[in-house]
Amino acid sequence: MNTADAIITCTALEKHYTRGGETVRVLESIDLSLERGAFVALMGPSGSGKTTLLNLFAGIDRPTAGSLTVDGHDIVKLSRAALAQWRASSVGYVFQLYHLVPVLTAYENVELPLYLQPISRRERHLRVSEALESVGIADRHAHYPRQLSGGQEQRVAIARAIVTQPALLLADEPTGDLDRTSAAGIMELLSHLHRDRGQTIVMVTHDPATAHHAQRTVFLEKGRLVDAPEVHR
Amino acid sequence: MINRRTLIGLIVLAWRGLVRRPTRSGLVVAGVMVAVFLFCTVDAMRTGVERATSRASQETALIVYRQNRFCPFTSALPQYYENAISKIPGVVSVTPVKIVVSNCRASLDVVTFRGVPAEDFALSHAASTSPREMSDWLKRGDSALLGKELAERRRLKAGDRFTAAGVDAYVAGIMQSDAPQDQSSAFVHLPFLQEQAKRGSTGGIVTQFDVRIADPSKLDEVALAIDAQFATDQTPTTTRAETAHVARAATDVIALIGFARLLGFAALAAVFALIANAIVLSMRSRQREVSVLQTLGFGGAHLATLVMVESLILGTVGGVLGAGASYAMVALSRTALTMEGVAIAVPPSIGIAVAGIVIAIALSLAAGLVPAVIASRQTIVCGFRS
Ligand SMILES: Nc1ncnc2c1ncn2[C@@H]1O[C@H](COP(=O)(O)OP(=O)(O)OP(=O)(O)O)[C@@H](O)[C@H]1O
Ligand SMILES: [Mg+2]
Repeated sequence: MNTADAIITCTALEKHYTRGGETVRVLESIDLSLERGAFVALMGPSGSGKTTLLNLFAGIDRPTAGSLTVDGHDIVKLSRAALAQWRASSVGYVFQLYHLVPVLTAYENVELPLYLQPISRRERHLRVSEALESVGIADRHAHYPRQLSGGQEQRVAIARAIVTQPALLLADEPTGDLDRTSAAGIMELLSHLHRDRGQTIVMVTHDPATAHHAQRTVFLEKGRLVDAPEVHR
Repeated sequence: MINRRTLIGLIVLAWRGLVRRPTRSGLVVAGVMVAVFLFCTVDAMRTGVERATSRASQETALIVYRQNRFCPFTSALPQYYENAISKIPGVVSVTPVKIVVSNCRASLDVVTFRGVPAEDFALSHAASTSPREMSDWLKRGDSALLGKELAERRRLKAGDRFTAAGVDAYVAGIMQSDAPQDQSSAFVHLPFLQEQAKRGSTGGIVTQFDVRIADPSKLDEVALAIDAQFATDQTPTTTRAETAHVARAATDVIALIGFARLLGFAALAAVFALIANAIVLSMRSRQREVSVLQTLGFGGAHLATLVMVESLILGTVGGVLGAGASYAMVALSRTALTMEGVAIAVPPSIGIAVAGIVIAIALSLAAGLVPAVIASRQTIVCGFRS
């Protein structure tokens, strides 16, 4: 793959935790390059380090060693504040458990990241409406999270992640907590974002059927990348 | 560091978080309100007492009282002392006063009748009422001029009749004097009061003499001279500066207020603990929410600001409500602490209300500080794992 096209490049990436004086190597010598515009699935057994790797990509966790460039930024070198600023504009993150702010309506949740953007109120309103529209939940904009189903909550969470038009959309088991129908709807939505908007997506999943939506699958096992045939649709 | 747009966003966010958790916010605001109310009210009383009892540098008023007597019911002096007192060097005027109170003990609603020689009083207090009211008062032997606060408290106006302490009087007018002792008083003709108050005393007996002197620096000197004059008499006197007279009568109240003031400070400490506790608990239960905000790109400064704004809103709303309620209560009830015939007005004070609000704001900022720092330092991953 041509590294010039890469949105994520990491070399010799390591993540260790010390637990009770003992070092746990959660990620070991990860070398990986993901191209811009790709839809990548990250698979592996529980505890293999998928979430940890995704968090490193998102700049919400720091590697112990190695280099990591995301969307042209060497995010290992960024200060805490600079990293936060970078996250605000470059990354959208979708959680397994949605993590909507309970006291805010769907609309307000989606609006949240835009307070950090240099745009007018009008522009903000347009973008929130457009994002809610694109995840098919515009009619529920005034609902609070507790008034929404899991699938609807996850749609709102996706709208919140894409409303800033980030270069990279990361999703950690976005369908892990949903019933089959809702899960299919969410995968439909992510595929659509990838296909129609060219959104780069890295998605963690347990489920091979879900991974089928992706163009490429990366396998992790005990913190290391392992070979597996690339899965194409 | 934080631009205006983001700041507004954070304020909106903090506000929504508070109003949409109404029980939690309401309890904190109510607690702050009660504490600030207590603090402001006690401080208003303290201010009133201070004003009435601390000797002003220009003080020229002395009160001559019967020695070892502390209540207007028992202080009895012959009216003819007036003559002897007025001859003492430095004395400008002497007013024999008969005092009849509706209640001798410490109380919040006391009417103090002051019997005074009518002509002298009319001359010395000409500026305090309209000429028409004054001439009306002079004409009627049973008429009274009321202190402003007494009139407002009892809702009396010129032309009314009222009864207190067994004295039935006609209201000739309202005095505009701001002197604390005038506020709760009803000034009546001395002979009228002497006639009405037949509690063992007969005409020619007064409660005290109000003495004015020329030179404030001679206050103690003149007081000693007056007491020396009657030392060997059958009814010896004790003469004090008016403020000292009030302070002596108010000893118990002053001690009480000193204690209440401690309570006021304890209440402020409670404000601090209350807000700090509420914010800490709320942030603890919202660690995940903080992590979400961080993931969305909110930095340490943003989160610290969010926490501080929340704390500030709680403190400000509680402070404004508490201080406002205290001000309204003091202003509307026109409270006067009265004991042994002296009155201490409790004045409503914008200054105290503002101080109460400022203190509540300062305490809320202090209370939010540690949680704000904690929130700003929280690592995202830890927040999600909590
Ligand atoms: N902050 C931390 N401190 C200590 N150990 C951690 C920490 N974060 C992750 N780990 C450990 O790292 C390993 C990988 O965790 P991670 O959450 O990345 O796994 P995962 O592949 O996402 O698993 P799952 O499929 O269950 O979500 C686990 O053994 C976990 O206990
Ligand atoms: Mg995981």
